[in-house]
Amino acid sequence: MKDTSIFLDHAAATPLDPKVLQAMQPYLTDLFYNPSAPYAPAISVRHEYEAAKAMIAHTLGGKPDELIMTAGATESINLAFHAVSGHVVASNIEHHAVLRAAERCSHTLVAADERGMVSPEVVQAAITEETQLVSIALANNELGTIQPLRDIAAIVRQERARRIANGEATPIYLHSDASQGVGQVDISVARLGVDMLTLNAAKAYGPKQVGLLWASTLVKLTPQIVGGGQERGLRSGTENVAGTIGFAKALELAATHRKHEVERLGELRDRLQRHLIDAFPQAVVSGHQKHRLAGHLHISFPNIDAERVLFALESRGVLVATGSACAANKGTRSHVLDAIGLVPEIADGSLRLTLGHLNDQESIERAALIITEEVQREYDRMAG
Amino acid sequence: MTKVFVGMSGGVDSSLTAALLKEQGYDVTGVYMKNWTQDLPGMKCPWADDLADAKRVAVQLGIDFVVFDFETEYRQKVVDYMIEEYKRGRTPNPDIMCNQEVKFKLFLEAALEAGADMIATGHYARVENGQLQMAHDANKDQTYFLYRVTRQALEKTLFPLGEYDKPTVRQMAKDRGLYTAGKKDSQGICFVGQIGIREFLSEYVQQEAGSIIDTRSGKVLGQHDGAIFYTIGQRHGLDVGGGLPYYVVGKDMEKNEVYVTTDLNDGALWPSQVSLADVHWIDKTPIPGTYQVRVRHRAALTAAQLTLEGDTARLAFEHPERAVTAGQSIVIYDGVVCLGGGIVQSTKA
Repeated sequence: MKDTSIFLDHAAATPLDPKVLQAMQPYLTDLFYNPSAPYAPAISVRHEYEAAKAMIAHTLGGKPDELIMTAGATESINLAFHAVSGHVVASNIEHHAVLRAAERCSHTLVAADERGMVSPEVVQAAITEETQLVSIALANNELGTIQPLRDIAAIVRQERARRIANGEATPIYLHSDASQGVGQVDISVARLGVDMLTLNAAKAYGPKQVGLLWASTLVKLTPQIVGGGQERGLRSGTENVAGTIGFAKALELAATHRKHEVERLGELRDRLQRHLIDAFPQAVVSGHQKHRLAGHLHISFPNIDAERVLFALESRGVLVATGSACAANKGTRSHVLDAIGLVPEIADGSLRLTLGHLNDQESIERAALIITEEVQREYDRMAG
Repeated sequence: MTKVFVGMSGGVDSSLTAALLKEQGYDVTGVYMKNWTQDLPGMKCPWADDLADAKRVAVQLGIDFVVFDFETEYRQKVVDYMIEEYKRGRTPNPDIMCNQEVKFKLFLEAALEAGADMIATGHYARVENGQLQMAHDANKDQTYFLYRVTRQALEKTLFPLGEYDKPTVRQMAKDRGLYTAGKKDSQGICFVGQIGIREFLSEYVQQEAGSIIDTRSGKVLGQHDGAIFYTIGQRHGLDVGGGLPYYVVGKDMEKNEVYVTTDLNDGALWPSQVSLADVHWIDKTPIPGTYQVRVRHRAALTAAQLTLEGDTARLAFEHPERAVTAGQSIVIYDGVVCLGGGIVQSTKA
């Protein structure tokens, strides 16, 4: 099954790019030194580590000393929220990492619209004098909807300017988890206008348990993990040299191939979407049809039990997600689908198909046929 | 077409049960009974994975699949019962209670309500003419756990695995490519799992130090952390050092004392007769006489003289049986037919 399997869950995990593995390999074996050690080989490793961070910063359009390397997006998000003590604003379709972090503070969750779009106006309306953090993901992990982050940034900047003019001391920052967007959306921090940005190597053909938080010098971070004082004292623990070097390579590759990959994935996704809609005109495609990740298709087959389809597809080597993977395992409905108002008969029939490096035209066409057959089998079983 | 609801636990036995019934032409619906979902320290409850596996097999077979939620009832009728029994110094069998109260009562009722004509499970047992009979595989026979099921329930029950032995069942599951064909069998009480009853009970009862007393000398040998955690015949877990191993021969729940001996022949370890309460007969009340009985699951059958006094019964063993304990069930057979049984009240003459 492995050889012929078709992976359509790139939003959950991506395979390490061979070039990334190649870049990492020496630092897992020969160049194992602790970057803090005083002898020459270790110092050279430290330089490589710093060079990798500089490269990442360059890709993001920030400065190397604005980066904190972490063990993944969840840690980065927690670190971002740790910077504030006042009111926070997030959307009701954020990832659980953001929702749970927000629940520790006084918070307002603004409602996304039925396409999963968070409008700048509703964010603006939710900001109070006490608001210290606005956190909106660049692209939603279930629907793929890309948020108007620049417009939201403008609102946050405007509020900051107002406070400065008024002599108010309360800071306000905009944080965005851009993990899903790497390789498909521009993640320049300057162009996005964010104050903090979370990224995750594991979603970008890099290693798992490697992430970062970029925070502008404006932001006063406080460490969650203390110890040897690495990462400017903001995240102690021996540096993940191989992971960071791999991450740098992954981001470089993502930036280089982005334009071409967005085009390629967009075509494949549209092909898949067309095929499924033609076969099942009653199917519902969710998420913004224009402002959507190129490789992302969220499609619901009314009255179908998507988990049954997932198992049937799995046995035929097609690996997909139903709604949100974590939520599905607990047997609960996705909060995102609730938030955009999908009724249970539709929400429960949802597949999240996310395309990436492992897909080509041939595999997508085959997947389209297999998905059609298995969904049809379910409709037939229910009719029979 | 006869409509059968099959209890599917996500294991290989119930998976094959569903597959066989489908092949035999029944209209099959798979049912996962959601009874217990609680994690314990050192043990993650595998219910979600088990549910997913059951559903995978249902999808493979192309049958309908539903989840029946019995969590509240299971907690009351099975888990609370078990804890209460232990608190009274007895050693209950929750699997027997689960069959009596949940699988062959609640599940049956809910299935019939939902339009089923019959239910089926992956138990190794057989039903013939409303009689419960031992499975062909004597090694796997599970009638010990089923003796409290009613005849009415059995008349609506199918046990397709009663004809096969376990290796055959595995092979048949493999031949059919069932997803669960290679899955390890669950062990022990399902909600206790591998961690052991002691750890499970510790979650629900206060640990309280008491004395371990030599039953012959009356001497205090050491301390234990709660008489509730000990059962008759138990050797391990007694913190009394040196010399011959000690065995539990009795306990006093009021005084929180555990009585032990090194004498393997101590009479308390080898009762020659027991009285049974809560006696349940699947069909008619048997006539007094000599029967084969089983004192615990997979124990060898042994001969005993049955006498009846209303709702209670008395068994006199032909040969004394080791470590029979109040709270456990003794099941009575006539040949391969499981007649019923009862719960040990006392092992005193």
